[in-house]
Amino acid sequence: MNHLSEEELIEQYYSRDDTGAGGHLAACAECAETYAELKSDLAAMQTAAPPARDAAYGERVWRSIAPFLPVYEARKRSWLRGGAWRGLSYASACALLVAGAFIAGRVWEHKQIQTTAIAIPAAIPQKAAPPQQRLVVVVLSDHLDRSERLLVELKHADTGSEEMVSPLRDEARSLLAANRVCRQNAKKNDDPALAAALARLDHLLVELANQKGGLNAASLARLQDEMNSDSLLFEVRVLRSRIPDQQPVANNRRNGGTI
Amino acid sequence: MGKNDFAVIRAILAGDKEAYGALVERHSHSLFRVAFRITGNEADAEDVVQEAFLRGYQKLESFEARSSFGTWIYRIAVRGALDKISRRPADDSSRVAGAADPEQDEVQVADTAVRPDRLLLSGEIGALLQLAMQRLTPAERTAFVLRHVEDCSTEEIAAALGIAPSAAKQAVFRAIKKLRSRLAPLRVNP
Repeated sequence: MNHLSEEELIEQYYSRDDTGAGGHLAACAECAETYAELKSDLAAMQTAAPPARDAAYGERVWRSIAPFLPVYEARKRSWLRGGAWRGLSYASACALLVAGAFIAGRVWEHKQIQTTAIAIPAAIPQKAAPPQQRLVVVVLSDHLDRSERLLVELKHADTGSEEMVSPLRDEARSLLAANRVCRQNAKKNDDPALAAALARLDHLLVELANQKGGLNAASLARLQDEMNSDSLLFEVRVLRSRIPDQQPVANNRRNGGTI
Repeated sequence: MGKNDFAVIRAILAGDKEAYGALVERHSHSLFRVAFRITGNEADAEDVVQEAFLRGYQKLESFEARSSFGTWIYRIAVRGALDKISRRPADDSSRVAGAADPEQDEVQVADTAVRPDRLLLSGEIGALLQLAMQRLTPAERTAFVLRHVEDCSTEEIAAALGIAPSAAKQAVFRAIKKLRSRLAPLRVNP
């Protein structure tokens, strides 16, 4: 049998109702004895009775505090109605808050959908031009720029001057590798116009770079004719103008760098 | 009585300050009684009563009809008394009434037979009880007074002290254990 704890006995002593310990106390002599001791101790704990106050005590208290009390301003609403109205206003405020939160949530959700809908088309070009793609565009722009200058120089080249021919050959050699990369990229990107133009440019550059027996007046004249008949310079300029972002190229050119 | 209190409060809030005097006179004695039992000092108890009515007046607009004015102002007084004894220095034993003059205490023991040795023992118990109560924490002391002397329920004690009912119950238990322990040397075995 589990005996009652001191706390349970104290609870039983003060409880106005039976805590359930009564049955145990009737059956367990040990707990009954402990409980009797507790009752005896608690009965002995009688504190000093408060000193008596006379009948005028309340009045004295009132007189001592009255000068410090401000007068309440008359209220427009009665006290009890004020309590009811206060409750109603709290309920209304809560309802408004919930409604506001719901509407705000709906508006926010709607805006999120719109933003997503707007953001998706905006994101497409970015996805179409990832960093690697942008690099290719810059390379192509620079390549066409240099090719245009080479073609201009070739157009106006003095076929009898070796000083003029030699830089053309060197430039053509340096452009060949870039031209092949750009051409492969154009094919990969399914740009037949660009691929065709770069193919003709490739042929011209190969001729310029690797002319058997070196460039001579006759070969230069032939290449000039070939370039003019193909309208290659015009085509390169058109392709050059098609490239949208010129800024990195301009900066690159300004810095004198090549890729 | 309760309805009268509500009517008085309506009048006060409508601008009739003097009406508060009726509430003060009506509840001063009960507030003094509990304040004295908690503080154990007459002057402190009177201070507690005045402060309770002052606070009550200032907070009157927040009073709602969920409890009677008497219960409401009683709780304010209990908290005021608790604050008062909490601010006391720990060794301030001279302020507790009866500690220096145990024979003035009204002490009862389990065996109420009037014998000279029993009266002497009663006086000793009263003095020791006062000292033992003084060594309780303010919360334990207040909880014990409310439970043992004022016959408040655990919920009423919790509401008066602004604590959870379980905490109020534990405060009473701790107080009784400590008091029993200190009064054990004087325990009378029948």
